[in-house]
Amino acid sequence: MTLQPLDRTRRSFIWRELVAAGARFAEVNGTATAMDFGNPAAEAETARRMGLVDLSPLPRTGYKGRGALDWLRSQGVQVPEENNRALVQPDGSVACRLAPSELLLLGPLDGAPGLVDELDAAWPGPDAGTGAYRVPRPDTNLWFALTGSDADAMFSKICGVDLRTSHFPNLGIAQTQVARLSGIVVRADLGATPVFHLLADCASAGYMLAVLKDAMDEFGGGLVGLAALRELARS
Amino acid sequence: MTAMPRLAAPNGLLIDRNRPVSFTFEGREIQGFHGDTIASALLGADVKVLSRSFKYHRPRGPLTMAGQDANTLVQLPGEPNVLADRTPIRDGLVVKGQNYRGSLEDDRLMILDRFSRFMPVGFYYKTFFKPGLFGGGSWKFWEPKIRAMAGLGVVDLNHPHGYYDKQYLFHDVVVVGGGAAGMSAALKAAEAGADTLLVDENPVLGGALSYARFGPESDGGRSRMQALAARVAAEPRITVMTDASCQGWFADNWLPVIRGKRLYKIRAKAVVVATGSMEQPMVFRHNDLPGVMLGSAAQRLIRHYGVRPGSRAVVAAANSDAYGVALDLMEAGIDVAAIVDLRPEPGDDEVTKAALATGVTVIPGFTPWQTRPGFGMRSIVGVEIARITGEGRAEGEGHSIACDLLCMSTGYSPTAHLLYHSGARLEYDEATAMMAIRRLPDHVFACGSVNGVFDIAAVIQDGERAGWAAACDIGLDAGPEPAAPNRTGAEGQTHPWPIFSHPKGKDFVDFDEDLQVKDILNAMADGYDHVELVKRYSTVGMGPSQGRHSAITTMRLVAKAQGVSPALVGTTTSRPPYQPETFGHLAGRGFEPVRLTPMHHRHLEAGAQMMPAGLWLRPAYYGRKEDREKAIAAEALAVRQNVGIIDVSTLGGLEVRGPDAAEFLNRMYTFAYLKQPVGRARYVLMTDMSGVVTDDGVACRFSDQHFYVTATTSGAQAVYQHMLLMNAQWRLDVDVTNVTASYCGVNIAGPKSREVLARICSDVDLSAEAFPYMAVRTGTVAGIPARLLRVGFVGELGYEIHAPASCGEALWDALMEAGRDFGIRPFGVEAQRLLRLEKGHIIIGQDTDGLTNPVEAAMDWAISRNKPFFVGGRSIAMQEARGITRMLVGFELVDPKAPVPEECHLVVRDGIITGRVTSAVRSPTLGKVVGLAYVARDQSEIGSRFNIKIAGGRMIEAKVVPVPFYDPENKRQEL
Repeated sequence: MTLQPLDRTRRSFIWRELVAAGARFAEVNGTATAMDFGNPAAEAETARRMGLVDLSPLPRTGYKGRGALDWLRSQGVQVPEENNRALVQPDGSVACRLAPSELLLLGPLDGAPGLVDELDAAWPGPDAGTGAYRVPRPDTNLWFALTGSDADAMFSKICGVDLRTSHFPNLGIAQTQVARLSGIVVRADLGATPVFHLLADCASAGYMLAVLKDAMDEFGGGLVGLAALRELARS
Repeated sequence: MTAMPRLAAPNGLLIDRNRPVSFTFEGREIQGFHGDTIASALLGADVKVLSRSFKYHRPRGPLTMAGQDANTLVQLPGEPNVLADRTPIRDGLVVKGQNYRGSLEDDRLMILDRFSRFMPVGFYYKTFFKPGLFGGGSWKFWEPKIRAMAGLGVVDLNHPHGYYDKQYLFHDVVVVGGGAAGMSAALKAAEAGADTLLVDENPVLGGALSYARFGPESDGGRSRMQALAARVAAEPRITVMTDASCQGWFADNWLPVIRGKRLYKIRAKAVVVATGSMEQPMVFRHNDLPGVMLGSAAQRLIRHYGVRPGSRAVVAAANSDAYGVALDLMEAGIDVAAIVDLRPEPGDDEVTKAALATGVTVIPGFTPWQTRPGFGMRSIVGVEIARITGEGRAEGEGHSIACDLLCMSTGYSPTAHLLYHSGARLEYDEATAMMAIRRLPDHVFACGSVNGVFDIAAVIQDGERAGWAAACDIGLDAGPEPAAPNRTGAEGQTHPWPIFSHPKGKDFVDFDEDLQVKDILNAMADGYDHVELVKRYSTVGMGPSQGRHSAITTMRLVAKAQGVSPALVGTTTSRPPYQPETFGHLAGRGFEPVRLTPMHHRHLEAGAQMMPAGLWLRPAYYGRKEDREKAIAAEALAVRQNVGIIDVSTLGGLEVRGPDAAEFLNRMYTFAYLKQPVGRARYVLMTDMSGVVTDDGVACRFSDQHFYVTATTSGAQAVYQHMLLMNAQWRLDVDVTNVTASYCGVNIAGPKSREVLARICSDVDLSAEAFPYMAVRTGTVAGIPARLLRVGFVGELGYEIHAPASCGEALWDALMEAGRDFGIRPFGVEAQRLLRLEKGHIIIGQDTDGLTNPVEAAMDWAISRNKPFFVGGRSIAMQEARGITRMLVGFELVDPKAPVPEECHLVVRDGIITGRVTSAVRSPTLGKVVGLAYVARDQSEIGSRFNIKIAGGRMIEAKVVPVPFYDPENKRQEL
């Protein structure tokens, strides 16, 4: 019997849709994560054109407050110099500077404990006087990766920001509306493949998934597993 | 019906002769080719009547073949008013005419054409305002009859919704119009480095090059088109969008473009308008009948579709292009009976010379005076011409020429709608008899014939100039400025007065609305002497083609009647959209977010009836709709007697952290929080600046500098935004984070809730002593990290458990499993409302309104009078000083069997409204009807009686009683 989402306490916001699509799960970060949908090789090709990966189970965290960036620097985080820019950390996580007082940290694709866990363990709490306050990102936002050469065109159907890869830089961030939901879009390419990370209200995950599947349809896009994304990272 | 033979290539540019397509029109099978429009295929099959006119039901055929007139509007299944000269045919397409009684060929309502004299301009205004048979009161009688006789297509309300969507595009330069000027502009801009979008409404680039004649040889346009199009295709910085209509220009170069079922929302740094010009029809008697069309329409039929527009033609001429039309007709095998030139002499250009060299009959100084209609006016069989004796005057000599086709090539008007939208200034230019650009707004450029440049070499030069200017405008180095063209070729293109009014009328100015010359003149005679008033009174230019062919004629007629220059009159305002657009395009794909709690699917599995709460869906109750009342009662009973569980994940959650957190809450809410102990929860009541109650919840103090504040489901976002605004103003050292979606929430309530929770929560002492009412703790529930709140909205022992959203479903499952032996039962919002009302707890927004202050809501206990400030405090004090006029009170009905009042049923005293009911319920626990109501201050004493006017006007008596109605000493929630 392979791992199923109900086998774990923590579950993806769209686990039912993933099961319905034939996902095969493995444990990542204590959560059943869709690794593939039965054909990893084909999914890797799909991911190069237009794929959607549910990364919601993967580690991520956030800190905000007047002292947040200083505290993060003191913990060894390489903080981007500008707002709405991201920086890849040595462990593969991506530090996204959302504001002068806020940073979002997306964990690496291998889901291994790293900077995210270290920070959350090191955070001394709200009374320590650091002026840094943790944001429960894993339970606040869904986390989808939209991958492939058509991802920017797909986004142009649901988002008013110019995300064309020719104009929106790698490691750029847009805090905007996506399909009428507030969302954070982070571009962090894997190899030559454009990858956009989308973080939005987890309570609307089912809605957002339906919108994205609809928008991807004309590009022949679809759900792919985490394995496909890891394959992009290797290539 | 078999298609007539088409003309040989290179005519028929747009059709694929190897791909026949069959469709039906008015029940008859028609055969065309892939690439044909409905109109071209019909004309190819010798079907000349496509529609009936709006008012007089006159037969109409294609006029422009460019989607710019209402003559070709047809009905498709589920879609009325489709432009037949724009819509491609496809196998099995079912096309019908519209607005006829009987058949399209024999429309019984054509009798209205004979009574047109009884329907002058302003007919409705003049007829239906006065008393009598046609008086004001009779409009209801006549309206449906008139509507049945006049109009366009029919909307099928049962037709399934189509799939429409939208897309955002961004480009440095957008060039609208893909003719010679547009392609040249796009090339120049792109070569300078601009990311350029080239938009054209036709299936292929080329504009007039694709159908018109540019020189004595027939392929002059085609060779230029192919050369330019090849360069465009090879330029990687140009994106081409054909079959796309740019519907308007909006601020900051925002361009809506429709292609297929998608609306593109395009932003451009610079816009080049290269939309060309529209050939204009003449005005003479019976100028609207099938067989009368623009010369360019005939050329489009020949070159685009390989269709012969007729067999024997007369060309009405006032420029060299007319001679090109005559040459094209002759090369297509059509007998050109004569060229009737409105000018005293033909020109001396090369095209004219080539035409003259064929020996074709040219009749200068004459005009078409009227066409001779064929049977049923479904065609023409000839044209009578007359010698021009002055502006708009001609002497009929009875000279008739037999023909079935009359082509009008007497002038143009710039297709300047986008320029008008952008605020460009255009004026009538006497020298060219056309509107001319006088001023363009920033970042907008124009080129080609819309810019008054007609000579083809000059058009290309003008396009390059505009492309260069656009590139420079966005900061690119586009090299030296291209030379301006030496001559525009605009003079002599347009006749200044191609209007020959006939004493018998039917000389149509506006084909859409069946308006004749006399209608325009009569509108002015009725006192509507401004061109905008003429438009509104007569409806000229208000039909589907939006005055493309009537605006200039109207301007000329108004000017002449007033004895002024057309330049002083001007044209009416042009507004988007350029082409008709559907609601589907505007709506696009609907984005309607919905928020689901982590336990949503568990509710569905348990048979919940869901109800909206803002964007959220919440269980109203569990069970079948027909069992609603029983289900709610049973759920409430479970909570009162046993244990119930409700999903409260939709409650707002806000982290307020920092050294000034307590001070911040002290200012935001009415109560006092500075001394609130850690580990305790305290009620929060929020008022706005005017002292109106806006939200409530609890503030849980988890550490000295950390409060977790809940808010109502519908108010959470507003509370958060209000906090951010206040925090920005006050500059306190505090951080506010909205964690509404981050935490799920479950409330288990009832006498056995402690026992249930104890089964899966071992690291928190749940005893009443260690964890009393209004205390908060952190711990784990079923191994899930959780915040536990002992609060009691429903008035029973209970625990609110807030846990990470991703664990919500597991938490629910664990609690249900732990409660199985106790008969735990999920309860919904309806039961919760009943239970809270039994406790007299108010719901913000239901028991309060947009004016309610805390005092009149009987919430003054929640106001701290000892602190210097809170938002709304001053306003509340002022209202108290002025005197409170109403109070929210608890009541019970004197007659326990009386009907339950509904929300907003009025409290009435001596015929005067003194209040209203906000909540009422028949309590199964209490065995009586209880509720909350606003009453006058002097009705608010315990024991006071008042009357409620319920449905049907019946008055029922109620009396004021203390709240809570249930467990007044609050012992149960403090167990």
